[in-house]
Amino acid sequence: MRAFDYASPPTADLALKALAGGTDTVVMAGGTDLMNRMKDDVTSPGRVVHIAGIKTLAGIDAETIGAATTLATLVASKVIKDKYPALWQAASEVGAVQLRNMATVGGNLLQRPRCWYYRTGNGLLAMKDGKSLVRAGDNRYHSIFMTEGDALFVAPSSLAVALIALGAKATILGADGKERTVAIEELYSIPKAEGESELTVGKGEILTKVILPKTVGKSASYEAREKESYDWPLAIASAHVVLEGGKVKVARIVLGSVAPIPFRSEAAEASLIGKALTPETATAAAAAAVKSAKPLSGNAYKVKLAEVAVKRALLAAVGQIYWEV
Amino acid sequence: MAASWPENPRLITTRITRLDGMAKASGKAKYPSDMRPEGTLFGVMLYSSLPHATVKSIDTSAAEKMPGVKAVVVIVKEGATLRYQGDDIAAVAAETEEQARDAVRAIKIVYEALPHAVTEAQAMAADAPVVVKGGNVKKGRASTTLEKGTETIDAAFAKAESVIEGTYSVPVITHVCLETHGLTAMWDGPDKIVAWASTQAVQGTANELAGRFQIPVSNVTVLTDVMGGGFGSKFGADIWGLTAAELSKKAGKPVKMFLDRIQEHLAGGNRPSATGKIKLGAKKDGTLVALAAETFGTGGVSRGAQFPLPYVYSIPNTTREHADVFVNGGNARAMRAPGHPEGCIIMEAAMDDLADKLGVDPLEMRIKNLAPKDFRTEIYLEEIAIGAELIGWKAKRKPRGKNGNGPIKTGYGMALHQWGGAGARDKQVTCTINPDGSVELRSATQDIGTGARTVLAIIAAEVLGLQPTDITSNIGNSTFVPGQASGGSTTTPSMAPPALNAVTQAMEAMFAKIAPAVGGAAADLSLKDGKLLVKGEAKMSWKDACRKLGMTSITETGKFTDGLSAGGVAGVQFVEVTVDIETGKVRLKKIVAVQDSGLIINRMAWDSQVSGGVIGGLNYGLFEERVMDPTTGQMLNADMELYKIAGASDMPEIIVHALDTPAMRARGVIGIGEPPTIGTAAAIGNAVTNAIGVRVTQWPMSPKNVLDALASASNQGKA
Ligand SMILES: Cc1cc2nc3c(=O)[nH]c(=O)nc-3n(C[C@H](O)[C@H](O)[C@H](O)COP(=O)(O)OP(=O)(O)OC[C@H]3O[C@@H](n4cnc5c(N)ncnc54)[C@H](O)[C@@H]3O)c2cc1C
Repeated sequence: MRAFDYASPPTADLALKALAGGTDTVVMAGGTDLMNRMKDDVTSPGRVVHIAGIKTLAGIDAETIGAATTLATLVASKVIKDKYPALWQAASEVGAVQLRNMATVGGNLLQRPRCWYYRTGNGLLAMKDGKSLVRAGDNRYHSIFMTEGDALFVAPSSLAVALIALGAKATILGADGKERTVAIEELYSIPKAEGESELTVGKGEILTKVILPKTVGKSASYEAREKESYDWPLAIASAHVVLEGGKVKVARIVLGSVAPIPFRSEAAEASLIGKALTPETATAAAAAAVKSAKPLSGNAYKVKLAEVAVKRALLAAVGQIYWEV
Repeated sequence: MAASWPENPRLITTRITRLDGMAKASGKAKYPSDMRPEGTLFGVMLYSSLPHATVKSIDTSAAEKMPGVKAVVVIVKEGATLRYQGDDIAAVAAETEEQARDAVRAIKIVYEALPHAVTEAQAMAADAPVVVKGGNVKKGRASTTLEKGTETIDAAFAKAESVIEGTYSVPVITHVCLETHGLTAMWDGPDKIVAWASTQAVQGTANELAGRFQIPVSNVTVLTDVMGGGFGSKFGADIWGLTAAELSKKAGKPVKMFLDRIQEHLAGGNRPSATGKIKLGAKKDGTLVALAAETFGTGGVSRGAQFPLPYVYSIPNTTREHADVFVNGGNARAMRAPGHPEGCIIMEAAMDDLADKLGVDPLEMRIKNLAPKDFRTEIYLEEIAIGAELIGWKAKRKPRGKNGNGPIKTGYGMALHQWGGAGARDKQVTCTINPDGSVELRSATQDIGTGARTVLAIIAAEVLGLQPTDITSNIGNSTFVPGQASGGSTTTPSMAPPALNAVTQAMEAMFAKIAPAVGGAAADLSLKDGKLLVKGEAKMSWKDACRKLGMTSITETGKFTDGLSAGGVAGVQFVEVTVDIETGKVRLKKIVAVQDSGLIINRMAWDSQVSGGVIGGLNYGLFEERVMDPTTGQMLNADMELYKIAGASDMPEIIVHALDTPAMRARGVIGIGEPPTIGTAAAIGNAVTNAIGVRVTQWPMSPKNVLDALASASNQGKA
């Protein structure tokens, strides 16, 4: 870690000023991602603006979740658990309890990829002499979708997957003090060149809140991972379905940890419309979801995991859990 | 007459909490890495970022001028070759850790990168770059044993009625000591040094420091009150420890130098990988006939990838060829039962595969092939019976792939292991009884987390009719009488006999001295419940008896005597798992560890050693793997996030069963640290295979390896 300036402003406006005033400034919320990158010399900001003390950014009010709300607070919310189970399930499996006590909703959405090439100082695209280190190396945790390009890391946020499935939005306070509201999926884009970010929230901007839709259908998330304690999803899926007369009217199916951005599967969604949600239709939707998968040399197993995650998220949404003994 | 263990012990064999347990649990205990004597500087190592390179030049001038920097030491000469990422180059001591890290970054190194090989596949390739002179693959001579009348191994296999062939692999893992390697060094004048070291060998470390600085070893004090794990990787001062002392000498201030987590993974030691291409043949009834094994593994830039095979079982005809493969990776170091977990995995996997092919119960097949003349055979039989009962082997286990509806399959597996654990014969303990009633034991051994301090106190308390908390057990100081280095599960069997002798001698000397004053002959005196007895009758308290010593303490030095300790243990573990065949996720349900180790001094610490061994083993079975990048030669998971280790919620029920019988007690004290970690990963692999019906040949039993095995079996139309 290198020396840096530190500011801990009490209001969002002052935070914007603090962000604008320094060189290479960065927002810190819970610090669980940022501090790791700073310690590993992956990120070396000149100034850290700590927003944990800004009261207006924290807390849950009906459908609005402040960006500085901790995941522990989110998981403790009965409303979230009952009305938005996909989000609740995704959040309750993030890392472990110590992490959820510190980590915030905004930080979760804007955390940087965990790609082990990126985190060991080889850059986000991890190219060396024009060749991809990821393709040539150990890519067991990397993308299985959208693998034609150079961005092979996976988008790490579990919350983003559930929030996109639920159709949530985020509000961003721009450097000019003006707010804008975007769909969660618009927070992410695939970088084309080294130096480009996978996040669309710019430097000097603050994500202030997440807004969930007032009316939602049934939803669930399913995560496959190696360890029970402190671990990342190998693949995660969130499913959100609106049923009418026993048939699927609207479906939103999103996968995480499988592509450089949260991966929405329109093919899986389309396969369900007008059908009852059964083990058979869920299986077909899951197969449709992974049809476009192009795994790398060492992660074909993740295709299976992504498929199973979609199937199980769908069935969990309608209470048909068949995999627990 | 030499002392012997009491026939009906009051404390020994019971469960006694550690003397320093509260201090450790509450954070009061001071670990070597907590030591910051007045004025301490922080030492930071600069290590190679490249896997293989020549150092063209090193320029420390900018670093030396940086704020807070008090000393810089260059370890390698210009022109030297760095052989792995993490290889030591230089070090800085500064007033704060941040200053030291900034200064390390300011050291300018010009490297000339050399081609590298960091995986076995790279090192074994035809056009592989040279890792070590003389070739990257050092093949030993094939060793072959044939029974009388059998001319070749092929002839032996011809007699087998069933043969399996398989290749089984387990990757390199690292020790992951919670306290990283290092020490704090403080000079006292030009030729005296004190070091607080995180070490398994205070005296070895003192000798190294004395040698390096050409000072008498009596001028060196190495202290290790408690320490945060070594597992075989912390036997010396190491380059960083010697460098800390050198920085301290240069700066004239104490220097604290502990590796960062990255270098800990890279250079602090590892357990070599192992791959075995195995052919195993048996008669129809499961009697083994022949084993042919081609094995290899890598211990980095050093040797050390050898492991025992055949393992445990008696096989009349065997041939084995082993190769050490050299890669640009940190040196292997001894790791908890070096070699045995690898040998156990490969042997036990092949045993199960053959049993499955023959359609015999793998438990029965194991029993059938125990070595007829080995004393362990009887022990194994007893342990297998107990373990099978505890896991429900007969009632619950089904043939491969036949247990469970839906995606969740249940499986059972087992493995046998063995270890030595006999003590050294040249260690000593002193026992001092003071007129105020205090009792102190001393020896230059150390407690690496096993409870060694408490073991000594229990022995003294047993003999003197006191409680362990009445005893000061003073170890972890290199200036005391010679104590055992903690490796090979030898600490307790080395130290318990001299402790017993020291305390018994001290008691006898005390009796001789106070007998006249308490009205009896020395032979009439005994101790019980904190009292002095004369002819069996309580006369006075222990303290009052000690007062009769007058002004002089009694100090006796005990040595090793025969009959108090032994070596050679067996052990069996059983595992119950469920495997979700859609996700490849293995969940451990229950692990049963049945273990012997002679006379158990402290059953509580013993249980904790066995559980700890099992936990280490389940990490090896499910999670651990050092991942190296072929292109950059870097380790990709030199952290505690993607280098995966179990947390509390990954823990199964662990049943620890001690084979604590009169026959075992009669053997005397035997070490326990290593054996219980050997069989776990092997048994897990067998349980997973039993559950899913397909052999997972690659450890750990991760979703990737399980799903890959299922996929390749279904491609071959097997599943
Ligand atoms: C072992 C481990 C396992 C984990 N497992 C999971 C998992 O399963 N799923 C998962 O989703 N995550 C997982 N995480 C990641 C964890 O969820 C994130 O580290 C955490 O959510 C980040 O939140 P934070 O508040 O600490 O963010 P910080 O570290 O403070 O910030 C993260 C990034 O977001 C930026 N930022 C934060 N808040 C704002 C804001 N309001 N406006 C603008 N920018 C902002 C920061 O500048 C920084 O770049 C895991 C982490 C670890 C260490």
